[in-house]
Amino acid sequence: MNRRLSTRGRRELTKPAVYAGLVVIVALLPLFFGSPYIQHMLILTFIYIIAAVSFRTIVISGQFPLAHAAFMGIGAYLAAMASKWLGLSPWITIPLSALVTAGIGMLIGYPFSRLRALYYAMGSLFFGIGVIQIIYAGGSWTGGYSGLTGIPALLPGTISKIPYYYFFLGLALVSIIALYRIEFSRIGTNLKAIAQSHVVASSVGINESGYRILAVGVGCFFVGLAGAGYTHYNMVLSCSSFNFMATLWLVMYVLIGGINSFAGPIIGTIILIIIPEFFRDLKMFSPFVTAAILGIVVYLMPQGLVSLPQMVRSRLTERRNTKKVSHAS
Amino acid sequence: MELIIATLTNLLILSSMYILVALGFAFLFSMLGILNLAHGVIYMLGGYIGLTLITALGLNQWLALLLTTLIVATFGIFLEKYCFRPFVGDFNRIVMICVVITVVLQTGVNIIAGTQILSLPPFAEGIFKIGPASVSYERIVTFAIGAVLLLAVTWFVNRTKWGQQMQAISQDLEGAYLQGINVHRISALATFIGCGLAAIAGCLMGAYLCLGPFMGDFMLVKVLMLTIIAGVGSIGGIFIAGLILGSLDSVLPLLVSGAASNATAIAILVVLLLIRPQGFFGHEVEL
Repeated sequence: MNRRLSTRGRRELTKPAVYAGLVVIVALLPLFFGSPYIQHMLILTFIYIIAAVSFRTIVISGQFPLAHAAFMGIGAYLAAMASKWLGLSPWITIPLSALVTAGIGMLIGYPFSRLRALYYAMGSLFFGIGVIQIIYAGGSWTGGYSGLTGIPALLPGTISKIPYYYFFLGLALVSIIALYRIEFSRIGTNLKAIAQSHVVASSVGINESGYRILAVGVGCFFVGLAGAGYTHYNMVLSCSSFNFMATLWLVMYVLIGGINSFAGPIIGTIILIIIPEFFRDLKMFSPFVTAAILGIVVYLMPQGLVSLPQMVRSRLTERRNTKKVSHAS
Repeated sequence: MELIIATLTNLLILSSMYILVALGFAFLFSMLGILNLAHGVIYMLGGYIGLTLITALGLNQWLALLLTTLIVATFGIFLEKYCFRPFVGDFNRIVMICVVITVVLQTGVNIIAGTQILSLPPFAEGIFKIGPASVSYERIVTFAIGAVLLLAVTWFVNRTKWGQQMQAISQDLEGAYLQGINVHRISALATFIGCGLAAIAGCLMGAYLCLGPFMGDFMLVKVLMLTIIAGVGSIGGIFIAGLILGSLDSVLPLLVSGAASNATAIAILVVLLLIRPQGFFGHEVEL
C-alpha cells in the first residue's frame, strides 16, 4: 500500500518535470538551428499544432468538422483585413479576429447541430468550400484569386525569426494548456458523453446542442487565433492555404498521431511537417515520403503513432513469454 | 437562342458527367459505407491514361477509351482488395488511405506529365446545324456516351442478378451475407464498374474541357455534394441531384458573375442539406 502510494507520488512529480524539460528543449532549439528556414518550419509547426489540437476539441464532441482550415482562413483574412484596411494594430486584431471566428463558428454551429456524424462532416465540408468561394468573390477587399499582400507585421523591424519563434511557442503552449484544461474538465466529460451516445447524454440532462455549439466555438476560437497569428507572421495570404485539401491535411495531422489521445495531434503535426523536410532534396518526389509515413501508420498502427510505445511493449512481453514457454517445454 | 442552346447542352453534359462519376462513389458508399475520397483522383487518372495511350502510343481514340476504362477498372479491383477491404467500418483509416492514394497518384501524374494544363484530342469534329441553332458534334457525342452508359448501368443494377445483389448489400449487409451473397466479389465488381465509369468521364471531360493534375479535387467535391443531396441507396436520386447540380453550375454563371456563382451554388446546397440532412431520396446511414 505504502509502496504504491510512493510510486504514484513520484509519477505525479515526474510527469510535469518531463513536460517542463520538453518545453525547455524546444525553447532552446533556435540556439542550435540558426538557419532561418528551419526556424520558419518550426514556427509553422507551432501554428498547425494549435489548429490540430483545436480540431480534436471539436472531434471529442462527436462532430467531424471538415471546415477547420476554412475557419483558420476566416481568422486569417479577418485579421489581415482589419489591420490593412482599418489600420488596427496586430496586437488587437489577433484576439479580436479569434473572437469573431468563434462567434461565426457558433452561429454556423447552431443550424449544423441538428446534423449528426457523417452528415455534419459533409455539411461543414460544403460550408468550408463556400467560405473559400466567398473569399475568392471578395475582389480587392480580400485579394481574390491573387491573394492578399501588404499585411502589417506583428513585430515590425525584426528581420530575425527568433522573436516570432518565442511568440508562437508561447501561443502554442497557452492554447495547448487551455484546451487540455477544457478537455479534462466537466465540459470535456460532457462532450465525450455526447459523442458516445447523444440519446443517453441528453437523458441525463446534458444540453446536447448547447455543448456541441460550445465545442465548435472553443475550437474555432483557437484555430482563428492560429490563423490570425499566421497572417501577421507570413504577411501574405493565399486562399489555397485554407481550402478543402488543407482541411484534409489537418485531419491527417490529427489521425496520424492518434485521434483518441490528447498528445496525438501534437505528435502527428510534428512528424508530418518535420520528417518530409529531411527529404527535401527529393524535390518532386518528396510527397511520396509523406504518403509512405501515412501508409505505414494506416496499415500497422490502427490507433495512430501514440500507440507505438504500447505496441512495442506488448510485442516485447509477448516474445519474452513465448521464450519462457519454449524454455519450459 | 444561341445562348439557351449552349447552356442547355452544357447542362446536360455536366450533369451526365457528374452522375457518371458519382455512381461509382455511391455504389461503394451505400454498400460498405466507404467514403472514397480518392474517387476524384481516379477520374483524373482516367483522363491522363487516355491521353498517354492516344499521344504516346498513337492508338485510335475509341480503342484508347476502351483500354483506359479496362486499365483503371482493374486498378479499382486492386484498390478495393488492398486499400478498402481491410478498413471497412473504420472511417478514420479509410480517410487516411484515400489521402495516401490521392497523394501518390497526384504526385505521380505531376512528375510524369507535369503540372501544365493539357487536353485530349476531341472525339468528334464538325458542327451539327438545325435551323438557326448549331451544336458541335463533340458535345453530342459526349452526351450520347454518357446517356448510354447511364442507361446501361441503371439496367444492370435493376435487372441483372449481380445488380440486385448490389442492392441487397446496400439495404442490409449482414442479411446479404446470410443469403449467401458473395459480398467481397460484389464489392469488387462495384469498384470495377465505378472506377471504369470515372475513367470514361475523365477521358470525355479531358476532351470536352481540359486535363490538369488537380481536376480530381473539383470533381470529388461535386461528387460528395451529389451523393449527400441524393441520399444513400437511391440511383434515381443521384440522377435528379446530378441534374440539379449541373443546372446550378451551368445556369448560375449567367446570372451571377465569377466566384460569386460558386458561392451561391454552395449556399443553396447547404440549405438543402439543412432541410433534409439524410438526403432527398434513399435512406439514412449510421457511420
